[in-house]
Formats: sequence, C-alpha cells, structure tokens
Amino acid sequence: MRILIVEDEKKLCELIGRALKAERFAVDEATDGHQGWALADSYEYDLIILDLMLPGMGGAEILRRIRLKNQQVPILILTARDATEEKVQNFEAGADDYLTKPFAFAELVIRVKALLRRGPVTRASVLRVGDLEVDRLSQHVKRAGKKIELTPKEYALLEYLASNPGRVFSRTMIIEHVWDQSFEGLTNIVDVYVRHLRSKVDDPFPTKLIRTVRGVGYGLGESTDA
Amino acid sequence: MNTRSLSFRLVTWYAGVLTLVFVVLGSLTLIFLRHYLESAVLDTQARRARQIADTLIASVDRTGDDVMTRQVEELYSPVVNDRFIRITTASGSVLYVSGAPHDGTFVPADIPTLSAAPFSREGVFERKVELPSGSVLIGAVASGHYVVEVGVSTARTEETLRQVLLLLAVGLPVGVLIAVSGGFVLVRRALNPVNQIAHKAEDISQHNLSERLPVVHSGDELEHLSVSLNNMIARLEDAIQTSKQFVADASHELRTPLTVLRGELETLAQDALLKAHTRESLGSLLEEVDRLAEVVESLLALSKLDAGEAITERVRFDLGELVSTTAEQMNLLAEDKGIGVECDAEPAVFVEGDRSRMKQVVVNLLDNAIKYTPNGGNVVLRIAREGDTAVLEVVDNGIGIPTEALPHMFKRFFRVDDSRSREQGGAGLGLSIVKSICAAQGAEVDVTSRPGGGSCFRVRQPLARGV
Repeated sequence: MRILIVEDEKKLCELIGRALKAERFAVDEATDGHQGWALADSYEYDLIILDLMLPGMGGAEILRRIRLKNQQVPILILTARDATEEKVQNFEAGADDYLTKPFAFAELVIRVKALLRRGPVTRASVLRVGDLEVDRLSQHVKRAGKKIELTPKEYALLEYLASNPGRVFSRTMIIEHVWDQSFEGLTNIVDVYVRHLRSKVDDPFPTKLIRTVRGVGYGLGESTDA
Repeated sequence: MNTRSLSFRLVTWYAGVLTLVFVVLGSLTLIFLRHYLESAVLDTQARRARQIADTLIASVDRTGDDVMTRQVEELYSPVVNDRFIRITTASGSVLYVSGAPHDGTFVPADIPTLSAAPFSREGVFERKVELPSGSVLIGAVASGHYVVEVGVSTARTEETLRQVLLLLAVGLPVGVLIAVSGGFVLVRRALNPVNQIAHKAEDISQHNLSERLPVVHSGDELEHLSVSLNNMIARLEDAIQTSKQFVADASHELRTPLTVLRGELETLAQDALLKAHTRESLGSLLEEVDRLAEVVESLLALSKLDAGEAITERVRFDLGELVSTTAEQMNLLAEDKGIGVECDAEPAVFVEGDRSRMKQVVVNLLDNAIKYTPNGGNVVLRIAREGDTAVLEVVDNGIGIPTEALPHMFKRFFRVDDSRSREQGGAGLGLSIVKSICAAQGAEVDVTSRPGGGSCFRVRQPLARGV
C-alpha cells in the first residue's frame, strides 16, 4: 500500500511518515503544493493525506485536481481550522475524511486504516479481544463465556476500544466518538467511565485487558505498536 | 404617539412658548386698550363740560339758572344721547341733573356729587364711577360758582373690548394650531432620515457588516452623522476581519507544533523498552501537552465567539430535554462522587439557538457544580418559564464562592483560589466560554452564591417565538 503525504510542516510530515511506515505502508512525502500535485499526478496512490494550508498550491485546489482525474483514491484532509462550513465544502469537493490539528497519531492511523480497508473487517458483527467478545448486533458482551451487563455508555466505550485492539485511544478521541463535541475538555468523564468498565470487565478476571498509557490514553489488549 | 420622540417634544415646546407669548401679549393689549379708550372718552367728556361751562355758565348772570338748565336740555338732550349731565353750585346744591338715559346703562341719581374735588389747575377733574347698574366715565369742570359734570356709560368701550377679546380668543388657538401642525410636518420631514438610518443600523449585524447606512445628501448634520456612522461600521468591519484572520492564523501556528509535539511524545511513550521513570516523565509531558492544547482550544473558541463565527445554527429546541439528556450522559461523573443530580424541568420550554453550543453551556455548568460539590452533595437542574424567558438554574450545595470573587467569575483565566481549581484541572476558561456562548446567542448568565452554602448559576434566554 502506498500513501502520499502533502504537509508543509516538515517535522509533522516526517512524523506522519514514520508512524505510517511503522504500520508497513510505503510513504511519499511532499512539503509544498506543487510537489504534492506533481506526485499525485504521476503515481497511483492508495491514499492521500492532504494539508489544506500549503505554500504554492492550496490543498483545496489539489483536492479538486485529483478528483478531476481520479474518483477512487481516498483522501484524508488535515487542517488547523475547524470551521464547519469549510468542512462541508471539502466533503462536497471529494474529501473522504477530515482531521483537525492537533490530532492524536493513534487517531490518524485508525482513520487511515479505516479508509484503506473500507471492507468487511471492521464490520464484523462480533469483535474478539482475548477471551472478550463484543457482539455489535445484540450489543451483548461476554468474557470467558460469562455475560457482562453494561450501561449503554459503557458498552459504547468498550466497543470503541475493541474496534482496534492493541491501539491506544486518546481521551479526546474517546470523547468525540462516545460522547460528542460539546463534552470537549471534559476528559475526566472518560477516566470515570473507564474505571467503571474495568470493575465489570477486568476485576473479576485474572488477566487485565484494559490498558492505561499515561498521558496518551486507553487501549484494549496487548500493544500492537512496535 | 411616542411622547418622548424628538418631533413631539419640539412641537410641544414651541406650542407652549407660542401660547404663552400670545396670552401675555393679548392680556397686555387688552389692558392698554382699556386704558387708552377710557382716557379718550374721559377727555371728550371733559371737553364737553368745558364747552357747557364756557357757553352757558358765562351768561348765567344775564339769563338766570332756569334758562341755563333749559338751554342744556335743548342743546344737549342728554337723555336721548345716553349722556349724563349735572350742574351743581360750589356749595353742593344740584341745579340740574339729566334724566335716566334711553339705554338704561346707569341711574343718574346714584352718581355721588362732587364736593371738594381735587380739580387740576385748569379746573378739570376726570373720574370713573363704579355703580351697580354700570360704570360711568365722568369729566367735571369747575367754572366760577358752578361745577359742570358730563358723563357717559362705559358700555360702549366695554363692548369694543369684548370684541377684541373675542377676536384674540378665536385667533390665538387657530394661530397656534396652524403653527403646531406646520411645525410637526416640517420636523417629521426633517427627522425622517434619522428613522431610516436607525432602521438600517438595526439590520446591520456581524454577518452583514459590508452593508452601509443610507447617506442623506442634505448637507446638514444628518449627512454628517450618516457618513460618520458609515465610517464607524467600516472600522468595525475591519476590526472583525482582523480578528477573524488572527483566529485563523493563530489556529494554524499553535495547532501544528502541538501536533508535532504530541506525535513525537506519543511515539516515544509507546516504546516497550522504556525505563519506568522515563515512561513517567513522558506521560507527564503528554499531560502538559494536553493541557496546553486544551487552553489553546478554549482561547480559539473564545476568539471565534468574539468574532461572531462560532454560532453556526439557529434551531428551535426543548431546553429541558437538552438538559436532561446531557445530565444523563454525565450521570456517572456525579455518581462517582455520590452526588445526586436532580432534573426539574417544565415541559416544552422551547428556545432558539445553536443546540450544540447550548449543550456545551450545560456541560460546563454541570461539570463545575459536580467538581465543587463535596462527596454526597446535591445538584439540582431547574428549567422553567418566567414570562417570555426560559430560565435554566444549576444549583449545588457545594463549597460556594466567596462574595468578593463573584463579580469576576466569568473573567478569563480567573480562579477563585489557585489551589482548589488547579488540582481539578482547567485553566479558568470554562465559565468565560459559557458567558461568550450565552452572549453570542442572546442569553444572559449570572451567579449567586453563599460561601459554604452552594452556588446557583442562572441562564436566561428568550423563549422561541410562536407556539
């Protein structure tokens, strides 16, 4: 799989490149608009990550040109602005997903994988992590064959963590997926819910599944990072 | 009619002044006219008395009293001419007095005789005699042993004065009425552009600052005013544009390095080979990055609210329903501290605004209430109608707020005291955001508190119109 990153902030560009290379993707990096467009125009990419504010040619213009030529390639937009209107405009122009800086890298990787897959894996009805089973259809949770009763919010949190086993989710990511943007900044609510979830999912069992990575967030199961 | 409007006040003032001037001038006119008429009539009477004295009294020695009185009767026929004529001797006995006049305006017998009257050097004395039957103006002349008095009723001068008074009484209100209505029309016409400017000015908000007020090319103060206002709007537009540009630039310049910082640290933190204390340090760094990111987000949110960019939708929603669902989502947070959250909502309290921003207000207020209420306390959310206003109250029985801190609660970066809020996290921006959101959608927020007895935050927003 080959991914193009167009991002004028050199360090950020390298960082994204490194994170994706660690996930075994082939990565091309471009640090200005013209270079980005030249690369996008000459090679077949599986995914393009595009910053909107670029010197030379703007991200919106590159997006338009790519879409004129190639309807298929998924495009993930990075932006430092979060005006909803702009977001809508870019989705209309053909963006597939949208990330607002500062984002967690875990989030970026999850989005990239989701965009590349777009397939059956995430849509499996039963998610399995160790001896934990999360049935997305019936919303039933079992561990070692025993049924665990969860409140709707606890279930939503567990399902989100289980959607990418081994990956660490930041509190902000969890807030945005399980609650909504109005709760932004209220990260302590995540800690409280994780504690409750732990008491039901982990405490009665010898092996602990829910992991805390200080300063980063929470994950389910063994780390998949290198 | 608006009694405080400029046109009303101007016209009322001028009408008042005009009426006052008319009344004063009219009264003075009547007084002087009466004086002038009476003195003219008195002079005539005195002249006539002199004539009688000169012609008849001069020859009385030859003719005798009887002839003289007969001659007076013949020559002047006072009864027919409604005149009063009396001739007395110096000793006071009456030689002749005319009969009652035809018009019956006075009774001659009632008129007191003159004794030692203060005659002038020319031997003339003028007086006005007020009688129950009517006043009489009398001119008297002393000649030798005789005093001749000639008089006439004031009826005729009074009649003239009455006519003048009538003329004034009719003419004055008509004059004032014409002046007032003419003035009203003129003032209204002159002030009409002011109304137009005011209407247009009300229509201009943050979102259509590129529009301008109509300029009246009248060359007067109004033209000046409209041009000045337009210049002010232009400066405002400029300032808001600058502020928007700042938000956009600051967003980019602050968020990009934060992303790099967090990315690098996250990658490091997930390295399985790290020593425990390095992992701790990295975790602590990441927490600080998060806090920095949160402050940046809050500040940008405030700048956007200030620039009027943040309110993106205006929908009708049930405030009570929004509050109760939000409280439900935060329930565990309260449960964790053993705090009871009670939601007491009147049904169907509809307001209009940005639903997700309003939710943010509820989240911030409720989070604060839970934070500053000790374990086992209570928080009550109350939603009610008060007239045409929706009122949301967040009441806790927590630690309360010191009285001296109350006025500063919504200021940016304000903390009641450093120790208690820093350990709870937060940069002191939550309530400023609440205030800015409220201001941006026409709501008001205030706080009352008793130290040790809990606080009450109150949001008041106009009810949605219709239904």
